[in-house]
Amino acid sequence: MVSMMLAEALNPVAVELAPAITTLIVFGIVCLILFTKVWPKIASGLDERQAKIRQEIEAAEAAQAEARAAMESQQAELGQARAEAQEMIAKAKSDAEASSRALREQAQAQLAELREQAGQEIRAAKEAAISELHAESAVLATAIASRILQREINADDQQSLIDDSLRELQGSRS
Amino acid sequence: MNLLAFSDNPLGHVVDVQIIGGDNPVIPGTESSVPLLTMHMVSMLIAAMLTVWMMMTVASKIGTGKGSGNERYLTTGRFSQMIEVIILYMREKAIHPVLGEANTNRFLPFLLTLFFFILVCNILGLVPLMDMQHVLGHGIIGSEMQWAFFGGTATSNLAVTAALAIICFVVIQVHAFRELGVKGWLAHLSGGAPLYLLPIMLPVEFMGMLIKPSALAIRLFANMVAGHTLMAMLALFGKMAFAGLGTGGLIGIGFVSILAAVAISFLELFVAFLQAFIFMFLTAVFISQMSHHHEDHHEEFEEGLTEYDELPAH
Repeated sequence: MVSMMLAEALNPVAVELAPAITTLIVFGIVCLILFTKVWPKIASGLDERQAKIRQEIEAAEAAQAEARAAMESQQAELGQARAEAQEMIAKAKSDAEASSRALREQAQAQLAELREQAGQEIRAAKEAAISELHAESAVLATAIASRILQREINADDQQSLIDDSLRELQGSRS
Repeated sequence: MNLLAFSDNPLGHVVDVQIIGGDNPVIPGTESSVPLLTMHMVSMLIAAMLTVWMMMTVASKIGTGKGSGNERYLTTGRFSQMIEVIILYMREKAIHPVLGEANTNRFLPFLLTLFFFILVCNILGLVPLMDMQHVLGHGIIGSEMQWAFFGGTATSNLAVTAALAIICFVVIQVHAFRELGVKGWLAHLSGGAPLYLLPIMLPVEFMGMLIKPSALAIRLFANMVAGHTLMAMLALFGKMAFAGLGTGGLIGIGFVSILAAVAISFLELFVAFLQAFIFMFLTAVFISQMSHHHEDHHEEFEEGLTEYDELPAH
């Protein structure tokens, strides 16, 4: 009962003119201030930030593409350098092999020549030694024979003896 | 024992109080036939000043200014970032899908002003400023005089919400005339019905034109009044229990009612945001209905809020 009486006194649906007019004026002033001082600043701020982010993303994408292109070109150059190096190594290797082969052949030729020369010299020395040995043997034989015969033989006898001896010697060798 | 017999009227925390003018003003000797200054008017003024101050502070943080370097593109401060997120959400997810590009740019400032103004009024109403003044006046100073000069929720005053709805009505109709022209506006009023139905269609559509903003006003007002009445009722339970049952009643019932009031406060905070959003969003919808490209989407817009995302962006 008390509540009902109080409720009659307090009417929340009552509409007074003063608050309504005040609302129109106050909201109008708020709109005026916000429209001139706030929303342009916020709108431009948001737009500029959006543009900046878009610009930064585009720049980052461009830089990424550039870096990718540079890396690809660098890799291509690296591949080329590697191929060139391989080619140079192969060439050096073949040059070295050719040069070593030539040196070896030259050394072998020289060796063969030296061997041939030495053989010839040995043969000449051997023949000379044999001839000398023959001569010495003849002299020695003559001396021995003279001593044995106790007589002198002339030069013609001597020569014929030598020749006989030599023929015999050669005949024995062959 | 009827505990209600010991209660105050919870509407006492909701209805407007006359400060100057009217039958029973707070300031004695200023009586007049109509109230000149009421508590809701003062609250609204405070809310308006808070809105302007808050938005100017936020604008200075969001704005990029004239400096150099990347720092100027950053929004500094948690509060400014929060408001920025709200603004971006409103623009991209709520208003742009309904109004399209051109009308979004045209009406965004108005709609956001409406939203933030109502939001600050609603939230300011959640702060028990009036009760603090009562405690200060009666409890601490011991004065017998009515000490509350400001407080309460301005948007729980039908005159305030009606005035806001009138502004929306004017904006909607001005837009309709600009967009459709007088002929198009009249054609819209006929709803595309054949001529013999015009005697029915014209009054119905005309009433609809007025009812839409009226519904905005009543929805906001009713939500605010209901929420605050409920809060006041819960708070009064303790007083009723103390008067009727003594200290035991105060401890038992008061504890439960305080818990319930805290829970309802969170709900009220949500409702404060929701109602501000709905007021703004429905205004955007009504504007879009008066645009060329939305004449065919009448029904879809009125069916429910979930439908809007399915509509093509313009």
